[in-house]
Amino acid sequence: MANPTVKSGGVGIGKRKKRRDSTTYYLMGAPAAILFLVFYLYPALNTLRYSATRWNGIDPIEFVGVRNFVNLLTNDDLFLKVLSNNVRFTLVVVIFQTSLALLFAIFLVKNTRTNVFLRTLYFFPTILSSVSVAMIWLFLYDPNVGVINTTFTKIGLDAFALNWLGSESSALYAIAFTQVWFHTGQMMVIYIAGLQQIPQELYEAADVDGASRWQQFKNVTWPMSIPTTGVVIAYTTIQSFRAFDLVFSMTNGGPNNSSSIFATLIYVTGFFEYKVGYAAAQTVFMIITIVLISWLQRRAINNRYAG
Amino acid sequence: MKTKGTHSFSARRIGVAATIAFALVATALPSALAAGEVFGKACAVEGVSTGTSSSSLICKESPSGKLKWQRVRLGSTYATPAGVSTPPKGSIEFWHYRPEDKAVFQAIIDKYEARYPGTKITQVVSSTSDYDATARVKISGNKEAALFAASRGATFNGFATADMYLDISGQRFVRQNAIANALFAGQHNGKQVGIPYHYLFNDPVYNTEIFAKEGWKVPNNLSSFISYCKVAKAKGYVPMAWMGAVRGQAAQIFNSMLMNSTSDYATLEKNLRAINTGKEDLTTPWFKGIAENYKKLLDAGCFPENPTGMTEAAGNNLFATGKSPILPTGSFSMGAIKALNPAMTGKMQLMGLIVTDAKPNYVGIHNSTFILGVNNKATSSDQRIALSFLSYLMQGEVGAMYSNGTTQHVNVLNVSYTTNVDLLNTSVWQGYKTLLAPRFLITDAAVSNLTNDALIAIVGGKSIDATLADFSNQIKQKLSA
Repeated sequence: MANPTVKSGGVGIGKRKKRRDSTTYYLMGAPAAILFLVFYLYPALNTLRYSATRWNGIDPIEFVGVRNFVNLLTNDDLFLKVLSNNVRFTLVVVIFQTSLALLFAIFLVKNTRTNVFLRTLYFFPTILSSVSVAMIWLFLYDPNVGVINTTFTKIGLDAFALNWLGSESSALYAIAFTQVWFHTGQMMVIYIAGLQQIPQELYEAADVDGASRWQQFKNVTWPMSIPTTGVVIAYTTIQSFRAFDLVFSMTNGGPNNSSSIFATLIYVTGFFEYKVGYAAAQTVFMIITIVLISWLQRRAINNRYAG
Repeated sequence: MKTKGTHSFSARRIGVAATIAFALVATALPSALAAGEVFGKACAVEGVSTGTSSSSLICKESPSGKLKWQRVRLGSTYATPAGVSTPPKGSIEFWHYRPEDKAVFQAIIDKYEARYPGTKITQVVSSTSDYDATARVKISGNKEAALFAASRGATFNGFATADMYLDISGQRFVRQNAIANALFAGQHNGKQVGIPYHYLFNDPVYNTEIFAKEGWKVPNNLSSFISYCKVAKAKGYVPMAWMGAVRGQAAQIFNSMLMNSTSDYATLEKNLRAINTGKEDLTTPWFKGIAENYKKLLDAGCFPENPTGMTEAAGNNLFATGKSPILPTGSFSMGAIKALNPAMTGKMQLMGLIVTDAKPNYVGIHNSTFILGVNNKATSSDQRIALSFLSYLMQGEVGAMYSNGTTQHVNVLNVSYTTNVDLLNTSVWQGYKTLLAPRFLITDAAVSNLTNDALIAIVGGKSIDATLADFSNQIKQKLSA
């Protein structure tokens, strides 16, 4: 059968047209590719280069090989502490943010007027600036005059009136809670979009079979929302590594670096201590950590989905 | 040992700086001393002066050994202050880290630009933390940033080490318009590279109305301060609105804790430089003694509840609303307090935080900071504009405009503070024996932060020995990285 796209002239014209189309496609993708190269790939490769140097950002660069990495792993307790902080922070945020987002989405999936209003309410924190959120929660968490402790004291729960941001044992989790409050609405919206894709017939069939709401969730909602869950978890993980603004505004990593995460550590190392090479090495470790966590998450999700 | 890049500050110079000619803040004496200031006549209080003009007098020991009113020489010479140099046409950027002063600076810039049409100055302002983190690289790469500020300590040291400053040693306004004894804070490798514009007192501010109402005397040693804390706490006050959640503000009292911790300044300087370089760590008996003083104040209830969670906003609020009689920061906080509560105008005074019962070497702390310098990498035309604007800022009436508008004392001759009662009230400190803020001798940012974090942790209730050992280890690792 003749190629419907080929006019008189035969196969040669078709090949030329294909080549022209390919060139057009590449040209269309070029701006994005150039931006990616200039603003992502080049800086990333440069970071890798700097990680093998001793440099204060101004003086000539001194190549030191793997010394920075060896030092990070063997002679830098702060780095190991921050690694632990970031992993714990990520775990708490991912678990709570994902669970709450799914819970809200399940209850608000129908497009009723009340649900739309409540979705807007829960989404509202997302549109605030992160520094505004930090300032709000700084006041809420104030151990002496903040609303949280004042309320606990008034209702006789003094034991819960903690020094939220001033205690090494609670500062990280207090900021994690703020992060969850900040972004749950956003993840809820993603879940609602995913849940609304689930065919209604599945629920109707489950109803007919006499399945309870819990059984419907377990056998229909949860399996069908696994791809969405994968997206939410990945996004939440990356967000938790980028929570620099909240940590910096609320505690600056204190007290005693108990709330410091990779982003704040790198910032202080590079910009306050003028150790650009060392900060680059910390950045490389952060990237490796994110890749590892993301890979583990994808495996778990994929296994669950395949199962 | 003279460390490269820093000015070795001899004990003698400290004595000069502390006891005389920081007469930089008032043209009117406090009323108790407002009579009998005649050149050559006897006077009572060494160091007090009648003002910052070339005709001012200062009470100083004469060759005969008696205290007499003598002509004050506040500048580096007896010459009258130099005028403003005429700038070429063009525009430059003025970088600094005090958003709270932006409006006042803009009013000054507007007057300058009206005087010199065709010359433009644009302020580039960011918060202190952003500025400290990014200004060094940004200014180095920006030739238009011809005039910039730096805070004393790690920031100034970083800028100077990066060779960002034009040498202004030969400028007339440096020799003739600036208070001479304040200039050393802007020196690097023996050259004058910046003018420390601010002169401030890093001493606690107390509420004179509350003290008068309660009949309290201002504590002047450790025992009396501890007594004050117990009495104030019993009466329901927060004795000291110490902001443990903000390292920079929590560290203000570190200066006071250091000031009488050694028998002389040279030893103090040696100890701090040893900590800075890692030659000594925080477990040294001298530093442990400082930590123990913090613990004594903590045990006496001087700090607020949950001290490590007290933010700057909460601390300022406590003081401004009268819930805390003492704000342990410095004279630079008075403007912010008045903004929160205008009724505090005229009710604030400084006090020394003296944590020894022995005779103190110093009764308070002062600092010269907001060091203004000219970018070495700017074009020569832009450098001339920057130097011209700097000479304008160093005029008495402009210094007065800035200082009265921001409630800051300035290191400029011929400044009148009569329109600002709080600056006037605190001018009596000009005659006191105060020490240049020693904590800035720790110039390594990591060491400085960790040292202060250790003290904050101790106030938070951690054990002294374990905390000092832990932070010493952290400092060691930072210095070896």
